[in-house]
Amino acid sequence: MIRVEQVKKSFGAVQAVRDVSFELAPGQVTGLLGPNGAGKSTTIRMIVGFFMPDEGRVLIDGIDTLANASAARSRIGYLPESAPLYPEMKVAEYLDFRGRLFCMPRTSRVAAIEKVIDRCRLGEMRRRRLAHLSKGYRQRVGLAAALLHDPPVLVLDEPTNGLDPGQIRETRELIRELSADKTTLVSSHILPEVEALCGRVIVIAGGKVRADGAIEELGRSAGERAVYVVQARLSRTNDEERFLKIMHNLPFVGEVSRAPEGRREGEWVEWCIWPKPGAPDLREAIATGATNAGFLLRELRSQSPSLERLFHSLVEQSTPAGGGAAA
Amino acid sequence: MTRAAAIAARELASYFRQPAGWIIIALYLFLAGLIFSTVILIPGRVASLRAFFELSGWLLLPVAPAISMRLIAEELRTGTIESLVTTPITSLGLVLGKYAAACLFLLAMLLPTLAYPAVLWAFSDPKPDPGPVMAGYLCLFLLGMLYLAIGTLASTLTNNGTLAFLITLFAILALMFAGIASVYVPDAFAPFFHAIWITPRITDFARGVIDTSHVAVFILTSAWLLCLAAAAMEVRRWR
Repeated sequence: MIRVEQVKKSFGAVQAVRDVSFELAPGQVTGLLGPNGAGKSTTIRMIVGFFMPDEGRVLIDGIDTLANASAARSRIGYLPESAPLYPEMKVAEYLDFRGRLFCMPRTSRVAAIEKVIDRCRLGEMRRRRLAHLSKGYRQRVGLAAALLHDPPVLVLDEPTNGLDPGQIRETRELIRELSADKTTLVSSHILPEVEALCGRVIVIAGGKVRADGAIEELGRSAGERAVYVVQARLSRTNDEERFLKIMHNLPFVGEVSRAPEGRREGEWVEWCIWPKPGAPDLREAIATGATNAGFLLRELRSQSPSLERLFHSLVEQSTPAGGGAAA
Repeated sequence: MTRAAAIAARELASYFRQPAGWIIIALYLFLAGLIFSTVILIPGRVASLRAFFELSGWLLLPVAPAISMRLIAEELRTGTIESLVTTPITSLGLVLGKYAAACLFLLAMLLPTLAYPAVLWAFSDPKPDPGPVMAGYLCLFLLGMLYLAIGTLASTLTNNGTLAFLITLFAILALMFAGIASVYVPDAFAPFFHAIWITPRITDFARGVIDTSHVAVFILTSAWLLCLAAAAMEVRRWR
């Protein structure tokens, strides 16, 4: 469990983190989001003990990172951004070194190294020097090192940085699998990744927590609504106007427009229909209205607000109040 | 202690895996060999390594900062410090581990110079007095320890290895010339300058005198510098 209580951190005159509080429970992957300079890296670094907070405290599994730093740090598996490693070391040798830093006895260390090498698919690379590894493999070695001592808390800063699409999928699956019995905090700039991986999202901007909750909850609190995506066949010249009019006339329909990134395949056009606040499910009404007017539909789906839209709306709402924040 | 030993083992191995480690050893052995062959190995002279030990302060001057310059500065530069200090190791453990590796490397570097007393022992008559030789090696190691402690502290202060090298170099020069500088400072400061002046202590060791106060000064000063280095590392968490 990670508990961050009213944490503050300044670098000179710059207040990087102001009064940040949250609590993360085991069995959940939480995403930490924020624009550059929002204070999320500083927050992560305070959690893992790289920085000490000026005010407030961080508890790892109930242990204060200040009062009992070593015990708290022994419960964390940390993957820093870009996974810095020692180039002259070999993969297995580096993992052995990490195991010794966590005082793992030799027998369990050897077994743990085999396990993480297998889990992170590093078998072929175990005797390679770290200097000779690709960025993706170096990232996997960093992840293996974070998992080695089987910590109850995982803090991963940009865990899929530099990985190819196949490796990204594998890493996400691995994180999901691990999160069953661990408290996992993932910081990422890649919004779809957070969307795919995290049940909960904490948005930090200007050194403060701007939003905290499940993506759907955040959407509601930010005033974002689900959107209906419709693909309709427009075969005649005035069909576009007619379709717009029919949709506008439906009860609870707010805005109707062509989908911003929607494709037009021949006569098939993609539309976005935004309901008014408090609207019920409009899928039946849309389908009935369109077909009664003679339009053929080949797709109709309700789409939750995307994290990207939420993120931008939350960050825009939080205009920085003086000072600024560190990365 | 296990963690500090892990740090020491990794660091020591890294010296021998990089050309820099071998270049440092070669440089030192070249300078030492030069002194041995030109100043000590002279036919008809009494067999003594006194000159070698007296010059040891100068010999280590470029070598010790080169050993210590990358100890922590390199970790700061490459960012590996982040994954290191977020393990359960304490700042003191980290500094001691790094320092121990540097001292062991120093020992490995000094080891081949045992050939010099062996050569004197084999070929000279009368044979050299073993007392000054042992005192000289003790001096060489204690001096190296002090220089490396200065270098370790300098290495925690910057992420630039060259800057750490220069800080160490000038700090050592300051210790070597403190006695001369004492003439030019107000009388109140003169005793302090004499106390930190290491040249007379080296001369005593080279004569075969093992003065416990000299030993204590070298060891305690090194320990104090290492505590400062650990404090400097800890301050980084609070900056």
